[in-house]
Amino acid sequence: MNKVSVKAGESPMIFIENLQKSFGNLKVLDNINLAVSLGEVVVIIGPSGSGKSTLLRCIKYLEHPESGRIFVEGQPLEPKNRSFRALQQEIGMVFQHFNLFPHMTALENVMEGPITVKKMRREEAEKIAMDLLGKVGLADKRDEYPSRLSGGQKQRVAIARALAMQPKVMLFDEPTSALDPELVGEVLTVMKGLARDGMTMMVVTHEMGFAREVADRVVFMDGGRILEEDVPLNIFKAPRHERTKSFLEKIIA
Amino acid sequence: MDFEYMKNLIPILGLGAVTTVELTILSVFFGTLLGLILALMKISSNILFSRAAGFYIYVMRGTPLLLQLFAIYYGGPSLGINLPPFVAAVLGMSLNSAAYVAEIIRAGIQSIDKGQMEAARALGMTYGQAMRRVILPQAYRRLIPPMGNEFIALLKDSSLVSNIAMVELMRVAQQMYANSFKPIEVFTLAGIYYLLLTSVFTVVFGKMERRFSVYE
Ligand SMILES: Nc1ncnc2c1ncn2[C@@H]1O[C@H](COP(=O)(O)OP(=O)(O)O)[C@@H](O)[C@H]1O
Ligand SMILES: [Mg+2]
Repeated sequence: MNKVSVKAGESPMIFIENLQKSFGNLKVLDNINLAVSLGEVVVIIGPSGSGKSTLLRCIKYLEHPESGRIFVEGQPLEPKNRSFRALQQEIGMVFQHFNLFPHMTALENVMEGPITVKKMRREEAEKIAMDLLGKVGLADKRDEYPSRLSGGQKQRVAIARALAMQPKVMLFDEPTSALDPELVGEVLTVMKGLARDGMTMMVVTHEMGFAREVADRVVFMDGGRILEEDVPLNIFKAPRHERTKSFLEKIIA
Repeated sequence: MDFEYMKNLIPILGLGAVTTVELTILSVFFGTLLGLILALMKISSNILFSRAAGFYIYVMRGTPLLLQLFAIYYGGPSLGINLPPFVAAVLGMSLNSAAYVAEIIRAGIQSIDKGQMEAARALGMTYGQAMRRVILPQAYRRLIPPMGNEFIALLKDSSLVSNIAMVELMRVAQQMYANSFKPIEVFTLAGIYYLLLTSVFTVVFGKMERRFSVYE
């Protein structure tokens, strides 16, 4: 499948306007503005503590933004709106520590969203879940509990679980950071496949190879701000900010 | 020791033991229901709920069960509530047990990794769905050992209801002693019954714990 590009005049998939977030006195997100188009892959990089996770968590409303607005396909994401839950479900999220449900098998993990949230019939949910497990290469692990899976397998199940809700956007918060180096590749491969299929993605990662190869745009964050954003080539070859440069030197060295 | 007398006592005290088990199982059942509600109230972000639950737990754990039983059985009638001993006993033990169970359940829920609630919410579940489908099923297994302890403590504490005219194992033992003046025989046998019951339930809870730990 080819990547779908934004048509002129169409709302971006995600639009973030003046987003602010503090924890106590600590300003963690400082006036964030960002637009992500349909089918676009945006990789977010930056030093630890720069607010990358908080940004994704605000989009998923695991944290409540303090001020500013988030739009999904042009519609404001506001808990008081009736469309809130529906809009929320358009956004899938994958966590650094997988957070699979340990009391459910791989298959049950993937079926859980459709059954509990979408009230789908079991047979139908199972069909979707099996398709997705196949897609992430784990059809044969359907009946395993997470404790019996490797980190890479767990993260692939977690991706399938998020996809089962048929989101339009996927957020990844350091999906490979908790993995042994030899298991990183299998997760990145799944993510690349998703990108190729046209999924809109926001990915926080330290995998610069992935950013180079897959990202349409790289966003560099520091101290709760977006310092610069550009196509990977420009960010990696000619970063405009000293901060970006020194961060990249540190991470690539 | 009069072993012949003890042999005759076995079925008599046995009936009392059956009542003791009934009392305990019913009280743990209702105590767990109320305890779950109290635990959810206590961890809720609603300050009114969490304060109310906290106060209830504070009072029930800070006063003797015997006093609570007296309040219900002897205090009830002056408020126009006349309860038969069995109902008063189950009510008192349930209300008391709920406070302890609430703390057990609260600790169990809070021991579940925060990422579990987040993952559930991220899938679009409501708080209630996340609790029911994700958090509580994981907490159950961790709850079995402390709930087993609570059950056994309650089984022994149920001897207190002999003070509100409830005829259970302890009360039967007291009656038999008053009839025979054979304290060694009567109370030894009653002790053996209690030991037997606590041992059986220890084994049962151990089995349950193993059965529920399949996925770890
Ligand atoms: N729940 C929280 N309470 C208080 N401080 C937090 C919380 N979450 C994150 N922070 C702080 O916010 C800052 C940004 O955190 P985070 O978004 O996790 O950064 P990153 O993902 O870029 O490493 C850090 O200083 C972190 O300590
Ligand atoms: Mg982070």
